[in-house]
Amino acid sequence: MKRIIPFTRYFLPAVLVSSALILFGLFGFFTKGFNLGVDFQAGVNQTVQLAYPVASISYEGKGNAEMTVSETAITLVFSGAETDSKTVVLNYKDNPTVADLAKALEALPAVKVQLEPGQENSASTLLVPTYQGNTLINLKPALVHRLPASDTERFASIDKVREAVKDMGRVSVQTINPTSQQRFMIRVQDEGKDPRFTETARAGIISGLENAFGKNRVVEVKTDFVGARFSQGLTQQSIFLVLATMVLILLYSTIRFKFEFALGAVLAIMHDALIMIAFVVWSRMEFNTTTIAAILTILGYSINDTIVQFDRVREERKLRPTDKFADILNSALTHTLGRTVITTATTMLAVLSLFFFTTGNIKDFALALLVGMTSGAYSTIFIASAFVLFWNQRKEKKGHASSIPAASAAGKAQPAK
Amino acid sequence: MSKTRRLITVIVVLAIAFAFLFPTIEWYVLTPKEDQAIAVGSREQIRDFSRRMAYSVLIDIKNKALAGDSTDLSNQSKDLALVVSVAKKAYSDAKRPQPKKYDAASILAAFSSERAMFDAVEARFRERTLALKNLHGNALQLGLDLAGGMSVVIQADMKALAEKLGHDLSPAEREDAMKRGVEVLNSRIDKFGLTEPVIRRQGEDQIYVEIPGTPDPERINSIIMGKGNLAFYIVDSEATAALSSYLATNPLGVDERTMTVAQAGLIPEGKIIRKVYKKDSYGLDEFTGEYLVLEGKPGLDGSHIQSATVSSDQITGKPETNFVLDKEGGDLFYDLTSKNVGKTMAVVLDDRVKNYARIQEPIRESVRITGFSADEAQALALLLRTAALPISLSVVTQQAIGASLGEDAIAQGKTAIIIGLLAVLVFMFAYYKGAGVNATVAQAVNLFIMISVLTAFKLTLTLPSIAGFVLTVGMAVDANVIIFERIKEELRSGKTRKAAIDAGFHKAFWAVMDSNITTIIAALFLAQLGSGPIQGFAISLAIGNMTSLFTSLFLSKLIFDFETDVLKKQNVSISWRAE
Repeated sequence: MKRIIPFTRYFLPAVLVSSALILFGLFGFFTKGFNLGVDFQAGVNQTVQLAYPVASISYEGKGNAEMTVSETAITLVFSGAETDSKTVVLNYKDNPTVADLAKALEALPAVKVQLEPGQENSASTLLVPTYQGNTLINLKPALVHRLPASDTERFASIDKVREAVKDMGRVSVQTINPTSQQRFMIRVQDEGKDPRFTETARAGIISGLENAFGKNRVVEVKTDFVGARFSQGLTQQSIFLVLATMVLILLYSTIRFKFEFALGAVLAIMHDALIMIAFVVWSRMEFNTTTIAAILTILGYSINDTIVQFDRVREERKLRPTDKFADILNSALTHTLGRTVITTATTMLAVLSLFFFTTGNIKDFALALLVGMTSGAYSTIFIASAFVLFWNQRKEKKGHASSIPAASAAGKAQPAK
Repeated sequence: MSKTRRLITVIVVLAIAFAFLFPTIEWYVLTPKEDQAIAVGSREQIRDFSRRMAYSVLIDIKNKALAGDSTDLSNQSKDLALVVSVAKKAYSDAKRPQPKKYDAASILAAFSSERAMFDAVEARFRERTLALKNLHGNALQLGLDLAGGMSVVIQADMKALAEKLGHDLSPAEREDAMKRGVEVLNSRIDKFGLTEPVIRRQGEDQIYVEIPGTPDPERINSIIMGKGNLAFYIVDSEATAALSSYLATNPLGVDERTMTVAQAGLIPEGKIIRKVYKKDSYGLDEFTGEYLVLEGKPGLDGSHIQSATVSSDQITGKPETNFVLDKEGGDLFYDLTSKNVGKTMAVVLDDRVKNYARIQEPIRESVRITGFSADEAQALALLLRTAALPISLSVVTQQAIGASLGEDAIAQGKTAIIIGLLAVLVFMFAYYKGAGVNATVAQAVNLFIMISVLTAFKLTLTLPSIAGFVLTVGMAVDANVIIFERIKEELRSGKTRKAAIDAGFHKAFWAVMDSNITTIIAALFLAQLGSGPIQGFAISLAIGNMTSLFTSLFLSKLIFDFETDVLKKQNVSISWRAE
């Protein structure tokens, strides 16, 4: 026979500690709130093209000149009051190299081309198209870029780009189209502190990249302000749903066990959710959908744990209906302790591996789970069982008041299920 | 249940799971890269490809036949083998004897004309490519964080909405329209919350969407397909006849942009002209050359349609869309059809006439329509089910996009997941010895079934979702632990192997069931009401729990019984200590 551990003795201090932790967490929640993650916040999406500058083109004549670089041709449109309107199209087919294009451009009146050294023989088809409409070339010279011709010419990798913009706050970088094109999308999260965020972020990204790759090698393709992926309604929705789910759990476990057990189980998982929220709030961990998933996972995990132990209590009560309830609890908890330890240990092995070997979101997820699992194992014993014991003791006391012998009262109160 | 029966059950479950996973295996392992590239193209590209292929093969074979080349082409190349199989079918369809060998001449002889051969070969290329496209849709995709996908910018047409409402939009109305647009897109792309797309508002009137998986332009097209502006119009037959006789002499009489004719008085005031389209075999809308003149106002617009389901016509097998109207719509429709018996009614989707038919008798509530392709009918049904889009959307840009996580992060994640999984399994083995092997097998099977079932729910594998699987396995081990601990207790009380195992499973049964059922109830409830990631999480939790119940209670017991009865084991290897 195993030595029975007197768990019931520690119920009161445990409940006090838990209550204090939860109150502390709630205090933090209402004063500081969550540190909302990228899924809940707006930000800026900026697409940039890293490329070699090839030539700068200017127009010193009268009227306006607009230039468009496309995949197949350079188009110049001359317009204005004092000049003849005309459109000139220079096909890459007829002008296979940059030097050919430059020659053709210089042949036009008042157009000046300043070739970058060493770019004369670059293929015209590699030129980077102009993205933001047409470029006016008479105010200041427009710079034309080209893509790297081969993999050996590539100078920007996604890691280098990440490194270059890492001071911008929460940033994510993705490649766009094949990596050989050196085009990247950079997302910066808006923390809501800077009223001119779009401008600051845009300038910050460009200067970060220019510092890393050289002044003229960064082409801004487009910048957009994008809203949050999930509205904060998602958080509210999950809280509401969790509460509704608890009612369901309460119903099912009342049918399978007894009301006090059901209520104890639900109190225990509420305890775990609140402890996790306290942890997430005070650790300033990013609150995102992964965090929601972690909390929901723990709810499932913890209810499992509680039900398994209650099942044991139910069984022992059937075997020894006349024993004091506290003794039955202690015995059942002791017997299931082995299972609790092993299950927690195996799950923790998986989670610890995530915690130690990953970074970022997943590490946070693992950390939140570790806290939740500890709380889940603890709450089964010290919250759920404590509540059931408290309930039964009150019933036993009532039994005393109506002067029925304690033993038989206990017996009546616990009909074999 | 007898052991054989239980074994069969396990095999059936595994086979079903494998069937769910098969498209994934077929797509990633069995489909060559170049075929994949074609299959993820747009339908127009697939049409061009099939025609080009059919043409070049035809020329090739003709040249061979002219040159008197009589080599058998069955095993020459994949494309030629395809032609040979088409020719074989042509021979057997025509009930002609198969030739001794399939050289160029005998292949040509299989068909009545070059045209017939071209059509047959094109059809085969088309079927193959469209089947692959379908396959791609059913295969498991890697998430945006691991492999990237497609980024799409979608433009909302506020002007059209203002016209529809008949007044300028207030900022609140714009805001509301955008919000609903985003919601509808979300529910269409991420039906079960497991696809994990990114959908965000962009600027004033755009929506930014990222969809995981190999970029396939058709996916976004089918999602924003149409504005869902479905309406029923009564056709003005006289004006239609007048228009077609006018067009007979003036083939370009209709101005495509304004949909009007130059000749005054031909079309009565207030009536409109619409083109009739039908689906070609690629599922693309093809103009039939036919024009209809319709009453200016629709007899009934799509807002009265409550639901739509897809079935296939019992005789022709063509897809049918069944619309159920709401009460008011039913009354309106009855009114309309009873007044217009004998006239023609047209079904118009986004200004294109999809079908028209004579009204035979008054119709109420339920309308059955053919003329949509199966995909389109389904998309339309989905569209109506998920609420029609409040605003019309169009694609602005579409690009391939790389993984959002760095290579290091992905590598770290992989290491962590593999080590985590191994640690759990090694621990089970170390602690429970022989029974640990049993648990390991059960959990491996659990993981397999879980992922395949979730694939059917359009699961996308992201790093967090994979981590979630490892976690599920870690937690699912619980059921094994409860049972094994019970068996140990029974063994301690001196029972034999068989008795201890039976008692252990029996006593642990309700503990395992109760704890899992509570979780499943909670998860199913969340899956019903939750949206986005909450729903996805809940579905995977519910399915993970069910599969782990199956493997821990059913499969694991079967393995034990097998060892007892077939391998004649006498004692239980469940601990390293002698108990």
